[in-house]
Amino acid sequence: MADLSQTAPTATGALGRGSDIKRQRRIRRAIWYALILAIVIWCAMVPVRDGNLSIYFAFMLGATMATGLNFVAGFTGYMPFGYVAFYGLGSYVTGIAVKLLGIPVYLAVPMGGCAGILLALAFAPTLRLSGIYFAIVSLSLAIILQRSIALMPEEITGGSLGMNIGVLTDRIQGYYAMLVVLVMALLTASWLAESRLGRSLKAIREDAEAADAMGVNVVRSRLYAWLVSAFFASLVGGVQAWFTGAFDTFTAFDVLVTAKAIIYAMAGGLGTVIGPVVGTVVLVWADELVWRAFPELNSFLLGLVIALLILFAPRGIIGTLIRRYPRLRNYFM
Amino acid sequence: MSWTSDPILVVDGLVKRFGGNVAVNQATLEVGRGTIVGLIGINGAGKSTLMNCIAGMYRADEGRVEFDGQNLIGLTPHEIAAAGIGRTFQVPRTFERLTLIDNLMIPMLNRPESEDELIALAEAGLAEVNLHDLKMNNGEELSGGQQKLLELARVMMLEPKLILLDEPFAGVNPTLCTLITDKILQMKEAGISFLLVSHDLTSIYRLSDHIYVLNQGEVICEGGVDDIRDDPKVVEAYLGG
Repeated sequence: MADLSQTAPTATGALGRGSDIKRQRRIRRAIWYALILAIVIWCAMVPVRDGNLSIYFAFMLGATMATGLNFVAGFTGYMPFGYVAFYGLGSYVTGIAVKLLGIPVYLAVPMGGCAGILLALAFAPTLRLSGIYFAIVSLSLAIILQRSIALMPEEITGGSLGMNIGVLTDRIQGYYAMLVVLVMALLTASWLAESRLGRSLKAIREDAEAADAMGVNVVRSRLYAWLVSAFFASLVGGVQAWFTGAFDTFTAFDVLVTAKAIIYAMAGGLGTVIGPVVGTVVLVWADELVWRAFPELNSFLLGLVIALLILFAPRGIIGTLIRRYPRLRNYFM
Repeated sequence: MSWTSDPILVVDGLVKRFGGNVAVNQATLEVGRGTIVGLIGINGAGKSTLMNCIAGMYRADEGRVEFDGQNLIGLTPHEIAAAGIGRTFQVPRTFERLTLIDNLMIPMLNRPESEDELIALAEAGLAEVNLHDLKMNNGEELSGGQQKLLELARVMMLEPKLILLDEPFAGVNPTLCTLITDKILQMKEAGISFLLVSHDLTSIYRLSDHIYVLNQGEVICEGGVDDIRDDPKVVEAYLGG
């Protein structure tokens, strides 16, 4: 081994210099944890004060899906157009476990999450593809999964009528389960962003070949991100089944689920931890406002808002703010 | 006959084809331990392709690449990096949306040191190339020359035994050029070996202990600076006779 003592930087004399970086990291963490706490308090109070459960559930679901998608799209640059496959599988595994096997729903949902990991492992060879090829193949696989479930015996999946587990589950419990899953996703995101794995993933996103040359195991890192991402989407699908009590292959595998996750994450800022949450808050709130004021023009106006956001802030709200005011990097994860 | 008694890198009969085009044809070269070996040739001579084959980015069709006694054929780029070969790129490939600190931490992610120690090492690395004041800036906010410096600092973080330097002086102003040259010489003093590709023949002649000339994928001659400077085959390759 070459003697690097004369040239390679050593920690001697350099230790302690990183105090400003540590301080910035503490500030970023404090802001992030304060935001999570605010979300928990606000959302937890909704059922108590008879608020609109559906809107807040939609926000939590959107923020979790956008955060989950961000693990793979924002951190590694892979855009899975078929992300809904995991969500749909989570719904069906939860439904079947509750209805046919009599398993309590709070155990069935994690089973759905594990099924999502197994499906992600089965899809793992698609990670060899890149760009639009990966996006299209993942969409195709989601469609294949949807059709496969639709063709399964009616006594298992409910056929075209779908599954109804409403009598076996409690809507309010489902609401709080969604809050728990959201908090898990947000904590995972902040851990990942500061972990060695997270740094590897961001390097891969920027330039996979250069990252490989710098010693990053690209295939393994991508696989980990893919599994974590799939796990959360499957949990969300299971909790959605818990909350609504009813679903079929059209709602469980609706491409809009993926589209919304992508739009929320992009609007807030792919690759940032806080971005998907901000994007979801802004767009769910805008959707609600527009729907109340202009019910006939809802889809048109919301589409316009999204188009303008992507046109004038292609890095999303947080990404654009950080680009314009680099000091904000010290405050946002 | 080998020019060095202690080669750290041996490339023997390397062939790389792209369809019918033979980009590297039976290339054979050696890099001595603690030496700087220059690799020159006109555009399209196959220099970068040869670098990519050594670094594992391209899989060679034929031949042997041996590094410190270890066969590199079939290894992935990250395995080759772990073996002790670092590389820079002709066009700087910094991680643009990562801070300079994070850029320098990437090659150290497999090391056992704590997070704080890695940050301290990264800061010291930035100080080595006069980029410490920009540590919280993103890679995309640097000039082209600064990006070359960042790449050099980044590859040092791998603690490599051999560095493949691809055009380190391209598009760099004379002041930064001097800084890069000084760093290369310092690292050589510390025992690091280099395979240096450059169109800047003045720098190549100044830094290299031995030079190989590549033309149409083949090594057409090799030798010390004086041998190469006056070799008619080199003149012909560069000036077309």
